Amino acid sequence: MEDYGSSEEDIYSSDQESYDGLENEETDSQWGSSTGNSCKVITRESLLVAQREDLRRVMDLLSLREHHARTLLIHYRWDVERLFAILVEKGKTCLFAEAGVTILEEVDVDSSVSSSTMMCGICMEEVAGSEVTKMDCGHCFCNDCWTEHFIVKIKEGQSKRIRCMAHKCFAICDEAVIRKLVSKRHPDLAEKFDRFLLESYIEDNKMVKWCPSIPHCGNAIRVETDEFCEVECSCGLQFCFSCLSEAHSPCSCWMWELWTKKCRDESETVNWITVHTKPCPKCHKPVEKNGGCNLVSCICGQAFCWLCGGATGRDHTWSSIAGHSCGRYKEDQEKKSERAKRDLYRYMHYHNRYKAHTDSFTQESRLRETIKEKVANLESRDSRLRDFSWVTNGLYRLFRSRRALSFSYPFAFYMFGDDLFKDEMTNEEKEIKQHLFEDQQQQLEANVEKLSKVFEDPFDGFEETEIMDMRMQVLNLSVVTDTLCKKMYECIETDLLGALQFSSHNIAPYQSKGIERATELNGGRNTKANSNITCQKAHDQTNGGSIELVHPSGCGTSDESGCSSRKRTRKDSGGSFFDLNLPAELIDRN
Amino acid sequence: MVDLARVQKELHECNRDVQVSGINVTLKGDSLTHLIGTIPGPVGTPYEGGTFKIDITLTDGYPFEPPKMKFATKVWHPNISSQSGAICLDILKDQWSPALTLKTALLSIQALLSAPEPDDPQDAVVAQQYLRDHQTFVGTARYWTETFAKTSTLAADEKIQKLVEMGFPEAQVRSTLEANGWDENMALEKLLSS
Repeated sequence: MEDYGSSEEDIYSSDQESYDGLENEETDSQWGSSTGNSCKVITRESLLVAQREDLRRVMDLLSLREHHARTLLIHYRWDVERLFAILVEKGKTCLFAEAGVTILEEVDVDSSVSSSTMMCGICMEEVAGSEVTKMDCGHCFCNDCWTEHFIVKIKEGQSKRIRCMAHKCFAICDEAVIRKLVSKRHPDLAEKFDRFLLESYIEDNKMVKWCPSIPHCGNAIRVETDEFCEVECSCGLQFCFSCLSEAHSPCSCWMWELWTKKCRDESETVNWITVHTKPCPKCHKPVEKNGGCNLVSCICGQAFCWLCGGATGRDHTWSSIAGHSCGRYKEDQEKKSERAKRDLYRYMHYHNRYKAHTDSFTQESRLRETIKEKVANLESRDSRLRDFSWVTNGLYRLFRSRRALSFSYPFAFYMFGDDLFKDEMTNEEKEIKQHLFEDQQQQLEANVEKLSKVFEDPFDGFEETEIMDMRMQVLNLSVVTDTLCKKMYECIETDLLGALQFSSHNIAPYQSKGIERATELNGGRNTKANSNITCQKAHDQTNGGSIELVHPSGCGTSDESGCSSRKRTRKDSGGSFFDLNLPAELIDRN
Repeated sequence: MVDLARVQKELHECNRDVQVSGINVTLKGDSLTHLIGTIPGPVGTPYEGGTFKIDITLTDGYPFEPPKMKFATKVWHPNISSQSGAICLDILKDQWSPALTLKTALLSIQALLSAPEPDDPQDAVVAQQYLRDHQTFVGTARYWTETFAKTSTLAADEKIQKLVEMGFPEAQVRSTLEANGWDENMALEKLLSS
C-alpha cells in the first residue's frame, strides 16, 4: 500500500478529490468480503462443520447429547433463535415433547439390559438380552425388529424423523443406534441415512440453500442474517439467494419471475408483430396484411381498415370502404384495442431498454480481455505510471452499474404498471413517484454511458498526461455511478417498495462492491471441544466416509490456519477474473 | 417378507379370546397374507347388531408397514367409503406402529364406528348428512346395518327361501347372495341378468 500511496502522491499531490475517489475504489475491490451478511460456501466436506456451531449451542444450553440436539434442530428447522424462544415461552418439557425428544432419568440407557431373555413385542419371540436395544424413551425391542423398522423408514424417506416402534410413542430414535444396526445389514442404506441427516441442515434450513448451478457443483450457500441477498458460489455462479434465479436486483423476485415469463412468451415475436401486424378490433389477434387493398379481414371474420385499425363492413372498392372514413376523427373508438396497443408499446419500451443494457453488458464483458491487453501494453512501457488497478476497478464499476441499470427497467415496468400495484397508489402519486425514479434512472444511465465510452478509447497509445486525464475521468465517473446506484436502490427500497401496503416486495440491498462471494467455511471459528466431538462422531460412525473428510478442516483451530485456508480458497477459485484483483487483495490483508 | 410366525401367533392370540372381544380373524384362502376380520357393531350405535367383515391384506413389510384393511360389508359411516369400503383411520396410515396388531387395529376400527370423525371424512356425502341431518344419518346407517350387516342364519335362510320360491336353483341363489353381500335386490338383479 505504501508503494501505491507514494507513487500517487508524486503525480497527484495537488488533487485532493482524486484521492477520495481512489480510496473509494480501493475498498471497492475487496469484493464484499466485509459486509454484515457474510455468506459461506458449504461443500460436501464442510457440511458437518457447518452445523457444528448450531448443534454446539443447543447441546451446551440444554446439556444434551448430539443426537438429541440434532433431533430438536431438525424439528425446529435449524432456527436456533426460535428454538430458544420456545424454550423460554413454553419450557423444556414442551420443547422436547414437540420435537420427539425423550430423556429418561435413568442411568442405564445402554443396550445391555440384562443377560436373561425377554419377549420382543414386535416379532413376539423370546430373545436373548444381548440381542435387544432399549431406546431413550425406554422402549425395548429386539435388534432384528429395530433394523427392519429403520430400513422401512429410511426407504420411505423418513430418515430425519424415525419414531420409536411403540404405539403412541413419539420419541425419535437415536441416530447412532440406527446407524449401528442398519449398517450391519445394509451399509449403503446407512450411508444414505447419514446423508439425509446431514443434508437436513440444507433442506430444512431457510438460511441455507443449494447452489442452483447446472450441473450441480455440490455446494450449498449459507447466509447469516438476510435471505434477500445476491451471492456468488465458489463455483462462480451468481444468483439471487431468495428465488435461486439469476441475480436480478433491483427487481423483486416476484417481478423478475413475471418479467422472465413475459419475455419468454413475448419478446422474440414482439418486435416482428409490432412492425408487421395490427391487432384485430374484435378478437385482438395480430393480423398481418399479405397484400391487396386496405380492407383486411381477420381469421375471426371481422373486417377492418388497415389504415386506422377500426372495424368496418365488407363492401369496398380499391380506394374506399363503404361507410368508413378514417379521415374523420372519432374519439373513444375501440378503446379496448387502444389499450391493448398501449400495453404492448409500454412493454416494448421497457423491454427494449432492458435488452439494450443487457446486450451492452455482454459486449462490455468481452471488453475485459482487450482492456487487460491494453493494460499489459501500458505496463510494459517504461513509464512513471505503474499502477493501473484503477482501470480494472473502473471496469467492474461499469459492469455493476450496467447490471443494476438493466434490471431497473423491468422493475419500473411493474412498479408503474397497472398489474401489480393498482390499489396501492393513486394516479397522481404514481406519476410523482415515476418521475422521481426516472430522473434517477436517467442520471445513472447517462453516467454509465460516459464511463462505457471512456473504456472504448485506445488508451494504450495515450500520452502520460492523457492517461492521467482518463484516470481522473474514470475515478470520478465511478464514484458518481456508485452513488447514483446506491440512491436508486434506496429510492426503490424506501419510497417505492417500502411504501406498499398490501403486498410485500423485497430486493437484495445494494452492494457497492458487487455481488458477494461466499467464502469457504473453515474450522477457524470452532473451539477445541468441537474437534473432540468430530472425533467422537467419527467413532460413532461405523462407516464414516463423509465424516472423515471433515476432519482436517474441523481440527484447524488456530487463527493462522484459518487465515491460510482463506488465502488458499481465494487462490483456488481465482480464474483470470480474480487475478485482476490481486493488488486490492494485498491491501485488504494489510 | 411378511413375518408369518408373527401372523400365526396373532391369529392364535386373537381367536383365543374371541368370546370376550367379539373380534375374529380367519384366513380368506390358504395364504396367511389375505385375511378376513369380523367385528360386531358397537352397542348403542346404529351399527348395533350387525357383524362387519373387513378385508385384510398384508404387504411384504408387515408388521413394519400397516396392513391394508377395508370394509367388505357395506356400511354408512362418515370415515368409511360407502362405495369401496375404504377406511380413513390414522393408524392404518402414518400413525401405524409395528407394536400394533391386527386385533388392535380391528378394535380401533370398531372404536371408529362408535365415534365418527366427520371433520376428516372419507365419504363426503355421508359426512354432510351426519353434520346437517343427523336423524336421517342414523336412519340410513341403521337401515344399512339391517340390510347388509345382519347375516344371521335365519335371515340368510329366509332370503334363500324367497329367491328359490321365485324359481332359481338353490346353489346358484346361495352363491349369488354371498357374492353380493347378502343383498337380496342385487342378487335378484344378477340372477335375472345371468
